[in-house]
Amino acid sequence: MAESTVLQFSPFQSHVEEGFWKRLSSLKLNTLGLDETPVKITGFYGPCSHAQVSSHLYLLDESLPANLAEESSSSEMVLGNRNRCPIPGTLYNTNTLESFRGLDKQSLIRKEAKKIWEEICSGRVEAACAVLSRFLVISYADLKKWTFHYWFAFPALVLNPSALVSKLQPASEWFNLEEGKSLSEACNEWRKSSLTAAVPFFLVIITADSHVTLRPLKDWETCQRDGHKLLFGFYDPCHLPSNPGWPLRNFLAFICSRCKIEKIQFLCYRERHGLADLTHSLVGEALVSISQEWKNPQFIPEAVGWERNGSKLAPRRIDLATSMDPIRLAMSAADLNLKLMRWRALPSLNLDKLSATKCLLLGAGTLGCQVARMLMAWGIKKITLVDNGRVSMSNPLRQSLYTLEDCLNGGDWKADAAVRSLKSIFPGVEAEGFTFAIPMPGHPVQAKETAGVLEDCRRLQNLISSHDVIFLLTDTRESRWLPTLLCTNANKLAITAALGFDSYVVMRHGAGVSADDKDASFSVCSSGIEGHESRRLGCYFCNDVVAPNDSTSNRTLDQQCTVTRPGLAPIASALAVELMIGILHHPEGMNAPGEMASSISESSSQPLGILPHQIRGSLSQFSQMVLVGSSFNRCTACSNLVVSEYRRRELEFVIQALNHPNYLEDLTGLTELMDKARSFNLDWEEDDETDIETVL
Amino acid sequence: MASPCDGTLSPTEFKFAAEALMKKWEECKSILHPWIWIPCPKLPFGAPDKAGGYLSLEHIHHFEFKKQQDCIEQKYSEEEVEALDSATLVLSGENETHYYNFHIIYSTSYKVPVLFFRGYHQGGQPLKCDEVEKDLPLYTSKLLEESKWTFITQEEHPYLNCPWFTLHPCGTSEWMRLLLQQRLYSSRPEDLCSHYLVAWFSVVGQVIGLWAPLNLVHCSSSSSSSDTFCSHT
Repeated sequence: MAESTVLQFSPFQSHVEEGFWKRLSSLKLNTLGLDETPVKITGFYGPCSHAQVSSHLYLLDESLPANLAEESSSSEMVLGNRNRCPIPGTLYNTNTLESFRGLDKQSLIRKEAKKIWEEICSGRVEAACAVLSRFLVISYADLKKWTFHYWFAFPALVLNPSALVSKLQPASEWFNLEEGKSLSEACNEWRKSSLTAAVPFFLVIITADSHVTLRPLKDWETCQRDGHKLLFGFYDPCHLPSNPGWPLRNFLAFICSRCKIEKIQFLCYRERHGLADLTHSLVGEALVSISQEWKNPQFIPEAVGWERNGSKLAPRRIDLATSMDPIRLAMSAADLNLKLMRWRALPSLNLDKLSATKCLLLGAGTLGCQVARMLMAWGIKKITLVDNGRVSMSNPLRQSLYTLEDCLNGGDWKADAAVRSLKSIFPGVEAEGFTFAIPMPGHPVQAKETAGVLEDCRRLQNLISSHDVIFLLTDTRESRWLPTLLCTNANKLAITAALGFDSYVVMRHGAGVSADDKDASFSVCSSGIEGHESRRLGCYFCNDVVAPNDSTSNRTLDQQCTVTRPGLAPIASALAVELMIGILHHPEGMNAPGEMASSISESSSQPLGILPHQIRGSLSQFSQMVLVGSSFNRCTACSNLVVSEYRRRELEFVIQALNHPNYLEDLTGLTELMDKARSFNLDWEEDDETDIETVL
Repeated sequence: MASPCDGTLSPTEFKFAAEALMKKWEECKSILHPWIWIPCPKLPFGAPDKAGGYLSLEHIHHFEFKKQQDCIEQKYSEEEVEALDSATLVLSGENETHYYNFHIIYSTSYKVPVLFFRGYHQGGQPLKCDEVEKDLPLYTSKLLEESKWTFITQEEHPYLNCPWFTLHPCGTSEWMRLLLQQRLYSSRPEDLCSHYLVAWFSVVGQVIGLWAPLNLVHCSSSSSSSDTFCSHT
C-alpha cells in the first residue's frame, strides 16, 4: 500500500452487435463498393454496472452512418444516453483478406494516437472529452460467407516512465460518510441530467464542509484556483477491484500535460442498479512525471492498445451466416414449418426419413412439376427429373415450374428448366435433371439407334437403383413399361399417376420379386380362370390383357396432345405424394397391404390414415374410389415370367420387347389366353346389352 | 375489455400490462436491472403497430465455466503489431460469459405476448441453438421435449429483422386461461389485465431460467398461481 507499483490498466473489451455488421454489409453493397476510405464511426460505452463483469465498448447499427452523405455531420452528433456514451472512432474496411492482414498496424495506431494528442494539446478535450477514448477498427467483410474479420485498437498514449500507483482503494473507504453521501447524490444528478449523462470524464470537487460537486473538464483551471480537494473522475468500464479501466490512461496523459499535475487523484466511477456504487468504485493516486520530450511541439507519444484475442495478438472473426445468409434462413424456416406439423399435429412424423428419401420423377410435365413442388413441401431434398422434351409455349399454364422465359428461343430442355425453377423456390433442394427418352415397346429401334437406346436403358437402370422412390408421370401408357419392369426387378417403390380427360388413377406398384425369391408365388387354378398372385399388389399393367403398344401414331392432333381438365393434374399429383408419405411411414413400407376406406367406427391403425393401393377418381362426378388389385401372373411388366426373363437376358430382352410387342404377349401367355377367350362362346340374351367398360 | 376467459390480450391491454410489469419489477427490487419499453410506432414495412412497442431486458449475464476454443487463424508477432506494455493488464480470460437479451413482444396473430431472446458470446458472436439449450436450466430441456405448450423455435424478430429464439406462443392462451381462472371472479377487469404479464412471466421466466423476484407473483387472493401451472403442464 505504501509502495508504489506500476499502475496496470485493464484493457477495453469490444462487443459488436449484429446490426453493425448488417449495416456495414449494406453500406458496402450500396455505397462504398470497393472504396477503402476510412469511415467515421461511433462506439458506445457506459460505466461498469456489475460486480463480476466489465462493461464493453459497443458497436451497434447506429455506430455507422446510414449513408455516407450524413457522415461528416453525424458522428459527433450521435446522441448518447446514460448507458451509451458516444466515442468517436474510425473504421478501416478492406476489400480482401490479404489487404486486411497486410495493414500496417503500427502506423494506424500512431495515426489515431496523433489525433488524440493534438486534441489534448489544442484544448479540444476540454470541450468534448469523449475524444480521449478515440478508437479504431480494421475489418474485412466476406459477404459470400457472411463472416467478418475485425480488430479493435484503443490507442493509449504511453507515459515514459510509466505511471505509478501509490494508493488504490474503494471509494467508500476514501470518502467519509458525509462526503460519500454527497458524492453519491452529485453523481446520480450528473447521471440523470441529459446534458451530462453521456459525458464520461469530469472533475470531483470536495469542499471543506464535505459538499461534493461534479464539474466538466473545461472548469479545471477555476477549480484548481479555488483550492478545494480535487479528484479526476471518469466512467470506469472495468469491474476489477485492483485495476482501473483503460480510459484512465489517456486521461492521465491529458491531466499531466495540460493541467501540469504530477500527483493525480482519480475516481473510477462504477454503478449498480443505475446508482453510484461507492464500494465498487475506486479512488487512487497516480504518480506521473512530465517528460521533457512533451515540451517539444513536434513530439507525439507512442501508443499501445491493439485488443488481444484471449491473451494473443490476433484479430477476431464473427460468423453470421445463420442469421444473414438468406439461403440458410429459407432452410431453417422450411424446417420449422415441418417441425410445427410434427409438434402440433403428428408426433410420429419422421422428418429425418423424409429428408433422406431420394425421389426420381420420370416426366416433368403437368404431373412432374406438381409432384416436385409437393415433395419439396414435405421436406424431400433430393429430386431428380427425367424428360426428353423442351418447354413449349402452352406449358407454363399447366406445368407449374415453367415461365415464359423458359419457352423462348425454341424452349429450354424441360429437365434443366425444372431444376432451375426448383432451386429458385428453395435453394436447399438437391435437384438434378436428365434429358433422354424412355425406351418404349411398340416404337421399334432402328439399327443405328440401338446403341443410343441401350445407353438410355442403362441410364434409367442406374437412376432407378440410386433412388428410393420412382414416380411414373409420363404421358403415354407404353413409356411406363420399362420403368415398371426395372422397379419390380430392383424392388424399388414405384408410384404411378395417369390422367384421362376427366379421370385419374394414382397407384403404388406392388413389391418386387427378389433375386433369390424363386417361388414368387403364383398359382394357376385348374378351373381355367387364371389365378392372381395372392399377396403382391398389382402394377399399372396388371389389369391389361394387351401389351403396351404404340399409342401415339395414327391419332388426330387432339388425341396426340394429352388433353385433360386442368384440375386433374394437381389432384393426382398431390395424391401421389401423400400416398408416398403414407408408405414411408408404414412399418411394412412397400409391402404393406392395400387398405380400403375404413368405416366410420374403425379408426385406421396408422396416424396418417389408411394406405390404399389405388385411387381412381372422376372430376365429372367429383368422386373418388379406393381399390385394391393383386398382381397378375401374366402381367407384361411385373410378372415373374417377365422379370426372370429380364434377369436372364437383360437389355437384349428389352430390345426384343421394344421391337416386337407381341413378344411380350407370347411370353406371358396372354396370346394363348386371348385365343381361349375368343373361342369361349357366351350366349348373350338379346335384350341384355351391357356395356363393357374399358379400364383405363 | 379483457378476454381473460380465453387467455388472450388486445394490443392496448398489452401496453397496459407491460407498464404494470415494469412497475412491479422495480418495486420488488429485482437483482436484474429494469425492463425498458421500446416504442415502435411502425413496423418495418410501414404498417402501424397497435401495441406501440415492446419490452426489453438486455445484457443479462450467464456465466460459463469453460473457455471456448478460440479459432485463431493467424497469430501476429509483437514486431508486427506492438510490444507488450508494462502498464497493460493481460487478462487470463478463463471463464467466458454469455450475454442474453430478452424482448417481450405482442403477437397480433396469437393475441398473446411472446418471449424473444438471443444469446451472444463475449465480443458479439451469436450463440447457436444448441449452445443456448446448454445454458437453460436442466429441468427446462426435459420440459421442452415433453410439453406441447412450450418449445423453442427460431423466428424473425418483428422489429429487428433478424432471427431470434422464441418460446412458441401457440399454447400460451390455453395455459394463461388456466392461470387466470382463479382470479377471474375475484378481480376487477383492470386488475386482471395488469396482472397478465406478471402471471405470464412467472411461467415463461422459469422455463428460460430468468430469475424473477419471488414476490413478483404474490397475489392478494390466494395461493400462488405457479402451482396451477405445474399441475397442468
